Amino acid sequence: MADVTLPSLGESVTEGIITQWFKKVGDTVARDEPLFEVSTDKVDSEMPSPAAGVLTEILAEEGDTVQTGSRVAVIDENAVGAPVSSAPTTSSETTDALPSPPPAHTAPATLAVEEVAVNGVVVSPVVRRILADGGVEPSTLRGSGPGGSITRRDAERAVANGPTDEIVVALSNGRRRMGQHMTSSFQSTPHGFVAIEIDGAIFDELETLGRSTRDGVAITDEMVVSLAAVRALGEFEFLNATFAGDELVVHRTVNLGFMRVVADDGMLVPVVHAAAGLTLRALARRVSELGERVLSHRLTTDDLMGGTFTIMGPASEHTLWSEPIIIQPEVAVLSIGAVRQVPVVVNVNGTTSIAVGRRLVLALTFDHRVCEPFAATGYLERVGELLAGLDLESEH
Amino acid sequence: MANEVQQFDVVVIGGGPGGYAAALYGAAAGLSVALVERDKVGGTCLHRGCVPAKEFLETAHVRRTIEHSAAFGITAKSVAVDFAVSQARKNEIVDRLYKGLSGLIKGRKITVFEGTARLDADQTVEVLEGTDAGVVAKGKNVILAAGSVPRTLPGFDVDGTIVVTSDEFLDLSVLPATAAVIGGGAIGCEFASMLADMGTKVTILESLPTILTGCDAEVVNVMQRAFKKRGIEVRAGVTVTGHTPKKGSTTILIDGGDDVKVDMVVLSVGRRPRTEALLGEGTNVEINDRGFVVADGYQRTANPNVYAVGDVVANTPQLAHVGFAEAIVAIKTILGEPVVPVDYDRVPWAIYSNPEVAFCGLTEAAAKEKGYEVVVKKDPFGGNSRAQIIGDTEGVVKIVAEKRPDGTAGQILGVHMAGPWVTEQLGAGYFAVNWEATAEEAAALIQPHPSLSETFGETLLALAGRGLHVG
Repeated sequence: MADVTLPSLGESVTEGIITQWFKKVGDTVARDEPLFEVSTDKVDSEMPSPAAGVLTEILAEEGDTVQTGSRVAVIDENAVGAPVSSAPTTSSETTDALPSPPPAHTAPATLAVEEVAVNGVVVSPVVRRILADGGVEPSTLRGSGPGGSITRRDAERAVANGPTDEIVVALSNGRRRMGQHMTSSFQSTPHGFVAIEIDGAIFDELETLGRSTRDGVAITDEMVVSLAAVRALGEFEFLNATFAGDELVVHRTVNLGFMRVVADDGMLVPVVHAAAGLTLRALARRVSELGERVLSHRLTTDDLMGGTFTIMGPASEHTLWSEPIIIQPEVAVLSIGAVRQVPVVVNVNGTTSIAVGRRLVLALTFDHRVCEPFAATGYLERVGELLAGLDLESEH
Repeated sequence: MANEVQQFDVVVIGGGPGGYAAALYGAAAGLSVALVERDKVGGTCLHRGCVPAKEFLETAHVRRTIEHSAAFGITAKSVAVDFAVSQARKNEIVDRLYKGLSGLIKGRKITVFEGTARLDADQTVEVLEGTDAGVVAKGKNVILAAGSVPRTLPGFDVDGTIVVTSDEFLDLSVLPATAAVIGGGAIGCEFASMLADMGTKVTILESLPTILTGCDAEVVNVMQRAFKKRGIEVRAGVTVTGHTPKKGSTTILIDGGDDVKVDMVVLSVGRRPRTEALLGEGTNVEINDRGFVVADGYQRTANPNVYAVGDVVANTPQLAHVGFAEAIVAIKTILGEPVVPVDYDRVPWAIYSNPEVAFCGLTEAAAKEKGYEVVVKKDPFGGNSRAQIIGDTEGVVKIVAEKRPDGTAGQILGVHMAGPWVTEQLGAGYFAVNWEATAEEAAALIQPHPSLSETFGETLLALAGRGLHVG
């Protein structure tokens, strides 16, 4: 027997909510196969099974809050898979190959095998007709039949719930978590906002040098502006700060959060820790690594902790600016607009004319208890100056 | 060279229905397949089970037809049985099918090794005895399809003359004058029926309260009446303790009941899996306490690269067609293709006795036990015109449907038949159950007239609320 405990979920996280069991009691589980999902106020993580065997006991139900280190399940390493049906359907001592009455339904045991389970498969023309008449798309259903196939009962229930052009969608954990954070931040903090347009000639230089670092990491506009933003924070320390109760804690270390979308699951803000001393090359590598971890769902709680200032990059090439809500307990978010080619007025030897230039909008959402529009604008202007003065060639 | 490890995508242990189906289906998908068989491909089903048994039952049917021919105005002088000829015909049919199957396997470029196989660690299969002893074959995946053998009873040593199992019974060239069939399940009832039709005086001894446990009670009643009419004595709820053979016959001892003196004892007390010595060290395959291989709905054992199909699989019906279906599930799973596991509650069952029995889905009792409220309709074959024409009107069709809140019949849960050619008629019922049709959906479909299948159609109409003939 092997105990399954809730592992450490990162510094300062002492508990998590079990949101989903991927296995039922009696199911076979392989070592490192995802066993359950745990949700903290930062992230949902799939927990791998620490042992191979049969899940014999589940000690924490879905929805339970569990302390790290406590037992949540037991795996029997010596047992194997759940029998396909629980009733002995094979021959007793005195009968031959007839089924003993009545064989238990086989569906639960077979549903354990997620990777080959065929969700939403219709095996009956009768069921197909019921779904078609009811306007329900089979692929939206998770069947209760063998292998996840849709039974008549599933179909009738789905039709009774209405056609699929109006489906009630439960919020994913990610969305729910984002919603709670944003609601609480917006309600608790007076948000201020300023935006300025700055010159983006530095990006002409970047195009010339090439859009990847010497390490081969792709350089985004967001990374370049972030570099200037971090350096400007050295002169605007009160923006690199967090609230602890009523007190403002100003940080010397810049832990730079990046707003990142998670497909169909809201938003996360992974953090590049100790970003103040980084060159463009180092920052690019760290940001890129974080991005990969977001995509592969391998972010740890530590990746999401300790942020002191947040960057919101351009969501598209047409973004002018965004007005994000502050990530608590921080006090400001820098929004970076897309770098656009625009007609600009140039002055050569006293003669003005129109030329093609680059511009972008920088905006700051700030906590009005800490900052006001004038200081915020000062910060943005300083970011613009530092951006224009970056020595890309040496940092590349 | 003998011990050089040969590599395959799939190594199948056992060449019965489960094993050869896996080999054929896998080879058809382009996999390289090796099949290890200790005897002849085709397995129990072809050589010692379904096929020879049904051939004998057909022999009995021919005799029955001749016996009743006078009613049609055709008089046969005398009916004589030369069972050696019957036996030879059976062997010819088996042989023809065996050659056909062997050719099919060869044509698919499946490597066949002759011998007993043992699975060792890392999907390595060693051939131990037989022509290819010493061969070592390694599969990316291995499918265990070692099959089953007849169970025996303590106190009844199988000698092949007085005490026989299905293995010996199907090789007899002379039938006994009197016989006791111990075990009144599907196989026991087929043997009893065939013997009785061929002129043997038969007694069925069953330890459970009725014969054909697992069948719907209505079907069991039909069978018990039919057997009684043909002189087959059914003694259910009895325990046999042993027998005392004496000069070509024997007396079976029954606990607390009258002994039975017969010329032959036919044991049909089930089949046990052939898993002894199947597994070496380190396979991680789980065998349960009854010797069966534990597998999930995708036929996977506890070792993710080892599958099991057919009679060796725990808690599944021992039926050739279930083996076929499991083989397809296993190969598709190996290929990573989406596949729906076998729904064991809804596989077709067929018993080729006289009358025949065929069913699919839940019995009335099982449905109630599962918490369903049910609506049930049944229609006897007596009123069926085709049944009258063929002179075989004994039997019934019974359909069990879920009761809707308004009391009408909803989804069809089970179809149960006893009577003429019902094994060939079950198809429609099988579709109805597995396609989860309601009575009215299935009743809207037409049965040809005159045909035996109209009885099924009539039952559906009645179940849907209004029958033509049945109330």
